[in-house]
Amino acid sequence: MNEFCLEIRSANKSFPGVKALDQASFRLRKGSIHALLGENGAGKSTLIKIITGVHKQDSGKLFINGKEETLNNPNDATKFGISVVHQERNLIRRFSVGENLMLNNLPKTPLGLIDYDEITIKSKKWLEMMDLDIDPKTVVSELTVAKMQLCEIAKALSLKAKILLLDEPTSSLSPQESENLFTLLKKIVRDEGVSIVFVSHKLEEVFNICDDVTVLRDGENACTSEDIKNLDRQKLVRLMIGRDEQIVKSARKIKNAKDTILALRNVKTELGHRNIDLELNRSEIIGLYGLVGAGRTELMKCLIGQDKITDGDVIVNGKKVTINSPKTALEKFKIGYISEDRKKEGLILIHNVLDNTSITVWSQIRKAFGFVSDGMIANKVDSYIRQLEVKTPSNYQLISNLSGGNQQKISVAKWLAAGTDILIIDEPTVGIDIKTKAYLHELIIKLADNGTSIILISSDMPEMISLADKILVMKDFQMSGIVENDHDYDAVSSKIMEFIHT
Amino acid sequence: MATLFKKDWFGLLIVVVVSGLAIAAVKPAFLSSFNLYVLMVSTSYMLIIALAQMIIIAIGQMNLSVGAIGGLVAISFSGLMEVHQISVPVAVLISLVIGMTCGFLNGYITAKSGISAFIITLATLYIFKGINLGITEAEPFYNIPETVKNFGNAKLGNTPIPFLIVIPIIITFLMWVFMNRTETGRHMLAYGNSVQSAELIGISSSKVVITAHVISGFLAATAGILVVCRLQLGTPNIGDSWLLPSFAAPVIGGAILAGGKVDVIATALGVLIVVIISQALVIFKIDPFFVQIFLGVMILLAVLVNRYREYKQEALRKIFNSE
Amino acid sequence: MNKKIPNFIFTNQFGLLCLVLIFIVIFSTVTDGFTSRFNIFALSRVIAIDIMIGLAMMVVILTGGLNLALGAIGVCAAMFGGWCMEVLEIPIIPSILLMLGMGSFLGWINGFITVKTGVHSFIVTLATMSIYFGFMTMLTEAEAFRRLPELFTDFGSAKLFNKYISPLLLVSVATCFVLFYVFRFTDIGRKLIAAGANPEAAELSGISVNRMFIYCHVLSGFLGALAAILLTTRIGAAIPSMAGQLGMDWLLPAFLAPVIGGTLLSGGKLSVFGTMLGAVLVTLLTNGLYLLDVGEFWIRFFLGIILLMAVLLDRTREYFTLRKVIVS
Repeated sequence: MNEFCLEIRSANKSFPGVKALDQASFRLRKGSIHALLGENGAGKSTLIKIITGVHKQDSGKLFINGKEETLNNPNDATKFGISVVHQERNLIRRFSVGENLMLNNLPKTPLGLIDYDEITIKSKKWLEMMDLDIDPKTVVSELTVAKMQLCEIAKALSLKAKILLLDEPTSSLSPQESENLFTLLKKIVRDEGVSIVFVSHKLEEVFNICDDVTVLRDGENACTSEDIKNLDRQKLVRLMIGRDEQIVKSARKIKNAKDTILALRNVKTELGHRNIDLELNRSEIIGLYGLVGAGRTELMKCLIGQDKITDGDVIVNGKKVTINSPKTALEKFKIGYISEDRKKEGLILIHNVLDNTSITVWSQIRKAFGFVSDGMIANKVDSYIRQLEVKTPSNYQLISNLSGGNQQKISVAKWLAAGTDILIIDEPTVGIDIKTKAYLHELIIKLADNGTSIILISSDMPEMISLADKILVMKDFQMSGIVENDHDYDAVSSKIMEFIHT
Repeated sequence: MATLFKKDWFGLLIVVVVSGLAIAAVKPAFLSSFNLYVLMVSTSYMLIIALAQMIIIAIGQMNLSVGAIGGLVAISFSGLMEVHQISVPVAVLISLVIGMTCGFLNGYITAKSGISAFIITLATLYIFKGINLGITEAEPFYNIPETVKNFGNAKLGNTPIPFLIVIPIIITFLMWVFMNRTETGRHMLAYGNSVQSAELIGISSSKVVITAHVISGFLAATAGILVVCRLQLGTPNIGDSWLLPSFAAPVIGGAILAGGKVDVIATALGVLIVVIISQALVIFKIDPFFVQIFLGVMILLAVLVNRYREYKQEALRKIFNSE
Repeated sequence: MNKKIPNFIFTNQFGLLCLVLIFIVIFSTVTDGFTSRFNIFALSRVIAIDIMIGLAMMVVILTGGLNLALGAIGVCAAMFGGWCMEVLEIPIIPSILLMLGMGSFLGWINGFITVKTGVHSFIVTLATMSIYFGFMTMLTEAEAFRRLPELFTDFGSAKLFNKYISPLLLVSVATCFVLFYVFRFTDIGRKLIAAGANPEAAELSGISVNRMFIYCHVLSGFLGALAAILLTTRIGAAIPSMAGQLGMDWLLPAFLAPVIGGTLLSGGKLSVFGTMLGAVLVTLLTNGLYLLDVGEFWIRFFLGIILLMAVLLDRTREYFTLRKVIVS
C-alpha cells in the first residue's frame, strides 16, 4: 500500500468571474512521477499555485504526508519540501552556479560572513549527485538552457525537496537533453525518494516516464491519479479535450504552376543563419518546422528587416530587394508577421480593439495633414473584426479584456486589414482553445485559397501536417530538408524527424 | 594575475594611475601636498554619495533624493548643535536616524506601492528639500562647535591625509563586505538581477528594497555630516549638486542601471577618476563650468562602454551555446 | 453598446475639473485677493508656462521615458534667443523660430542617443542636462540678456479680456488643442502612442519605433523651447538661472502636471487636457497656499506631497484596471 505524500481533496478556487478549480482532486504517491495534464486554462497552473502556496484554495483540503496543512505563502511550501522548477527563471544569471544552489541557505563563517569555499564544496556535492560536470564557480549566464535547468533541479534537491514540480521542463530542450533529464529524474526518484509532478504538453514524454496521470478539464477532474497503464494516447487526448483528436484534412490542391512570390537564395544573417534557401509560391502555405532554438522565428524576423540579412539574395516578385525594417516589409512588399508572443509583440494590451486592428492601416487611410478619425478606421477594419467573429462588447473594449482566442483573432485581423500578400504566421494556436484553433486553421487555408502566400511556423506537428503544402525543416539556423506534404501523418512526421535528427 | 585583468576595476585602476601620472608629469603641482589634501577631502564625501546611489542602483532603482536627504541632515546636524545646544555625538546620532528615516520612507513607499523609485524619490526630493527650506528659511547655521570644525580640518599626523577620509574608507570597506560577503547584500544583488527570480527563491522584495533605501539614507546622512565638518557651516543648499556625481561614479564603475551589477571598488575608483579630472581642470585653469560638461560626457561614455561590454558578453554566450 | 467616448463624467479630466472648481471656490472665499484682477492675471501667466512645461515632459513620458534635460534645454533656447535678439539683432519672429529650432535640436540629440544606444533616457538626459547647461554657462559666462526688444517683452506683460488674462495662456491653450488634434486625429499621433505603449508590437506592425521616439524627444525640446520663450517674455530677460541649478526647477511642474493629468508613467497613454488641468490645479494650489501665508519655503514641501499623492492615486487606479485584466 502506497502512501500519498501530497493530496488535494475537492479544491475550489474562484477568481472574480472565473471558476478556476471546481472540486479538483489530486493524489501524489510517494516516489512516483505524476503527470498533470490539461489544456491551457484547464486549471493546471492554479492547482500548481495552490500546491506551492502562491494561492490559497477557497475550499477543499490539502494533505502533506497524510496530515492536513495550510500553505500561506511559497515559503511554507518550501518548508514542507515542495519545490517548483521553472525554465531557467529561478537562477540569478550573474551569480555563480554554487551561489545559486546555496542562495536560500548560504554557508557562513563564524563571523557571519558568507563562506565561498564552503559553497563550492557543498554545491559540488549536489552537482556530482546529478552527474553534472559543472564547476560551481561558473557564472550561470555562461551555461546552456538545459544545464541551467539541471542546476535548478540540483538546487531544489539541495533544499531537501521531497516533492518536485516540473513545469514544461522540456520545452526548450533538444531530444537528447530531454532524454538525459528523464534518466536523471528517474534516478532521483529512485535514489532520493523524491516524488515528481510533471506538467507537459508532450504526451510521448508522459508515457515515457510517468506512473500516474491527473487530467484537468475546465477546472474539474477528467481523471484523478489514474495508473498510466490503463490509458493510451487516444484515451488521454479524449480526457483532455473531451473528444477525439481531430486532424483537419486539408483538401487543398497544391498548384503545379510555379508562381514564385518570395525567394531566399543562400541567405546569411547576423543572427547566425547560413545557406538559407526558400521558395514561396503564390497561394501556397509553406511550413517551417524545427525544435525550439532552430532559428525559425529569428529567420522570419530577419526577413522582415527586424534583424539584418548579411549575405545572399531576397527576391520578391522576381526582383532582388532589401528589406530593412518591418515598415518597409509592410508598406513596400506587403509582408506581414503575426508573432507567436501576442501579448508582447503582437498586441497593445492597454489599447482598444479598434486601435489594435487598425495599427497597420493608419498610413494607408490618412487624409490631408495625416487626418485619421475613428470613423474612418471603423470603416476600414470593422468588416474584418466581424468576419473573424471576434467576441467583444464593443470596438472600444481594451484588448486585455478579451480572451486569448479573441486576442489572437485581432492580431490576425490587423494583417488582413493591411491587405498583405505574404503572411508569416508564427505558432498561431499556442494557448488557444480548441474551437478557435480549428477556426484559425480553416481561416489560414481560406486565406491561402484566396491568394495570400503563407509561411507557417509551428511546433505542433499535427497542425503543421494538416496545413502546410510543403514543410521546410530547420536545425541550428540552417535548412536541413524539405518534405513535400501529402498529409499522411505517419509518413510525413517520420520524414521530418529524420531531418531533425540527422 | 589573469583573474585580476578580468575584474571590472582593474581597467579603472589603470586609468586612475595613468591619468594621475600624466597630469603630474605636465603639472608637478598636482602632487603637491596641498593639492593631494584637497583631492582627498573631496574624495571623502564623494565616495559616500556615490555609495548611497550605488546601493540603490544595485537593486535596479534610483534615488533622486540622495542630495535632499544629505541637505536635510546637514541642516539638522548643524541646527541641533547651534539652536538646541545638543552635544556632538548625540547630534550625529539623531542626524543619522533622520537620514535613515528618510531612506525608510523612500523604500517603504516604493516597496508597498510598486511605483518606480524615480517618481517616488522625485517627490520626496521636494518634500525633504521643502522641510529643509521651511526650517531654515534659506539661512545657514554658522555656529558649529569647535570639535566639529577641528575634525573637519584635522590631518593624520604630518601627512597631507585629511582625517575626514578615514570614515569614508572604513565605510567603503564595510560596504564591500556587505555587498560581497553578507547574505542581505547578495540577496539585494539577486533582487537587482531579477525581481521575479528573487521572489521565487523566497527573498522578500519589500525587505530588500527597504533595507537598500535605509542604507542609502544612512550614507546620504553621513555625507551630509561630513560636508558640514568640511564647510564648517550648515547651509541649506548642501546636496543640491550631488545628483550628477552620485550617478557618475557608479556608472563609470561599470554599474548597470537595470540593477544587479555594481562593484564597490570600481565605484570608488569611479569617484577617484571624477575627482582627479575635476581637480586637473582646476589646475589647468579650465573654465569651472567645463566640469559639468565633462561629468555629463563621462556618464554618457561610461554607459556606452557598459552597454557595449554587456552586448559583447551576450554575443559570446550565444556563440558558445550554439556550438 | 458602441459607446464612442466613455461618459465624460467618469473621466479623470472631469474629476480634475471638479477639483479645480472646488479649489477656486475655497480660495476665493478664504483668501483675500484671489479673484483680484492682478492675481488672476499673474496666475494666467504662470499657468501658461506650467502647462507648456507639463506638455513637454508628457510627450517623452509617452515613450515610457523621461527628459531630465528639459529645463536645461529651455534655458539654452532662452539664452540662445537672447543672444540672437540682443547681440545679433535678429528680428523677433526669426529669433523665435531659431529658439524653437534650438530646442528641437537639443531634443533630437537626446532622442538620437537614447534610440541608438538603447540606454534608458533617464541616464542619457541626466548626462545631456549637465552638458547642455555646462555649455550654456560657459558660452554666456553666466551673464543674462536683459535688453530684449520691447515688442518681445511687451507680449509677456500684455493683458487681454478686460485685463484679466495674459496672451501667454492663449498660446498654451492653443498648443493643447494642436497636440490634442495630433494625438487623437492623425496617423502620426496614433503611431507615437502605439510606439510608446508597446514598442515591440508597434515595430512588428510596421511602425518605425525609433523614429517615433526621436520625434517625441524633438517635440519635447520644441515645447521646452516654447515654454522658455513664454518665460522669457514674462520676465523680460533671458537669465541663466531662470530654471534653477541645471534647469532642475522645471522638473517638479514638469512631472506634476502629466502625472496628475492621468498620463501613464510606463508610456502609451496620455491626456493632453488632463495635463493642462493638472498644471492649472498645481498653480492654483501654489497660489492659494501663498495667499494663505504658508511660507514660500513650505510650498515645495506641499508640491512634493501632492506629487506623491498623485502617483499613489494613479497606482490605485492602475491596480483596479489591472485586476480586471487578470480576471478575464
